[in-house]
Amino acid sequence: MPDVLTKTLRDSRRSLAGFAVGTALVGAMYAGFYPQVADGAMGQAVEGFSPALREALNMEDIGSAAGYLGSSVFGIIVPLITVIYGIATGTRAIAGDEENGYLDLLLAHPVSRTRLLLHRCAALAVGAFALAGLVLLAMLAVRPGARLDTISIGQFAAQSVALALLGTLFGTIAITVGAATGSRAAALVGSAAVGVLSYAANTFATQIGADPLRYLSPFHYYIGNEPLRNGFQWVDLGILAAAVGVLVLAATVAFNRRDLTS
Amino acid sequence: MGDVIELEKLTKTYGTRRGLVELDLAVAEGEVFGYLGPNGAGKSTTIRLLLDLIRPTSGRARLFGRDPREHAVELHRRIGYLAGDFVVDPRQRVGECLTFLADLRGGVPRTRIEELAARLDLDLTTRIRALSKGNRQKVGLVQAFMHQPDLLILDEPTSGLDPLVQQTFLDLVREATAAGQTVFMSSHIMTEVEAVADRVGIIREGRLVALDTVARLRDRARHRFEITFTGPVDRAALAALPGVSDLVVEGGTARFFLSTDPNELIAVLARHRVASLQASEPDLGELFFAYYRDTEAAKEASRA
Repeated sequence: MPDVLTKTLRDSRRSLAGFAVGTALVGAMYAGFYPQVADGAMGQAVEGFSPALREALNMEDIGSAAGYLGSSVFGIIVPLITVIYGIATGTRAIAGDEENGYLDLLLAHPVSRTRLLLHRCAALAVGAFALAGLVLLAMLAVRPGARLDTISIGQFAAQSVALALLGTLFGTIAITVGAATGSRAAALVGSAAVGVLSYAANTFATQIGADPLRYLSPFHYYIGNEPLRNGFQWVDLGILAAAVGVLVLAATVAFNRRDLTS
Repeated sequence: MGDVIELEKLTKTYGTRRGLVELDLAVAEGEVFGYLGPNGAGKSTTIRLLLDLIRPTSGRARLFGRDPREHAVELHRRIGYLAGDFVVDPRQRVGECLTFLADLRGGVPRTRIEELAARLDLDLTTRIRALSKGNRQKVGLVQAFMHQPDLLILDEPTSGLDPLVQQTFLDLVREATAAGQTVFMSSHIMTEVEAVADRVGIIREGRLVALDTVARLRDRARHRFEITFTGPVDRAALAALPGVSDLVVEGGTARFFLSTDPNELIAVLARHRVASLQASEPDLGELFFAYYRDTEAAKEASRA
């Protein structure tokens, strides 16, 4: 039976496909540069950076496959696009459709607010996992040719699952702000601000002597314990998933209490 | 038969602005109720309260004897709703959109959707984005009527529809009442409501200022007259008529409003030679004006 979940996915299929294919291609392209990096040019350049900068950019070990992918592909580009996907999807899920009037129609049907919100969250998660799955496939496709075989399939999978949860978490932040306020601008700006601040916290906390700050950042639980080297980090994944769960709960409570904007 | 809609001192305040003020209203089963008022009067606020899209500040609403919030899902199964601003994802096709909405209700026979679409001359294979405002409104009408709900709540249902389709819409409303369905429709145009409505409520600034059958409302409304005499105008005789107001005489022409039956006027006119006579039906603006003036006057009186 077609439902809010499948309908949401169907309506957003082009945007999801665009994000997923784009992320996978960009990721594969950068991963494909690894042989040149391993052969020294980039490694030597990074040698010239100060140790603090190398640490900040997660480039202490740029020469190894896990070090290179962890600093470039999975360190910046792919999570950035994934987070943007999450925020765009999460903003539209409640606040966007509320501002354009579509939620009035859906909620006048036999659909409770809780059900609508849960289905929208599920659609976001399915989308984020599909995106991460495609990234994983792209990595596995370039793995032999780009000399990335020191990273096991399981380690790639571990990083991809963390990626999916990261995207889901930022999407859920946007959904929660939207569910509480009904404002597209608030959802977008709020979740983007959390993204920038938490990325900065994870990257520069050690430099500014505020190490505990990084434990507040989702990016720490995404990549801090290096899944590409250490495989599945179940505690980190559990923390990301729990954060999603708490936010969904808060969003449900807030969304059920307020008036829809017209 | 019981009341399908019951409002008791229903009040909605937006910050300091008042949306609705202690609204009392009951709509009986099988009735067609016309809910009239200018834009911003509180029509959509009332409707959104009924559907639990917004919550009352105080007072209460009951649909089929139940609380719109507590029993939202089961109530919505029995309701067909057309929003004043009907919005769906513009990228999908009409048929796809209607099938999805029907499935949210557990499904509607395909033939029913096709029959309604054909009557409204709506192509199910077009993308919503390519539809004109009027055709988009038809999609809204089909989704509201397709599952033959016990209660139809229609916010400005005929906006954007051409006159032919408006007739089809009125037929749909008549069929719905014949089948025992209740209809609550808002409008700011009297004529589209009076054709089908049993009763009419007029709302102004969040308050119900009139509630009666269409015929009785009209009787109490002011009719506008414009009479040109061949001779001089007998101003005194016109001004002395009961229920006359805003009398203006220009040359041989007199313009005024009359809020009673025209028998006395006809008696006056019989004594003169009339070149032309125009009497216009009171439009809704006049009705509003009449009721608004009455309520303002009452306020002044209560202050004094």
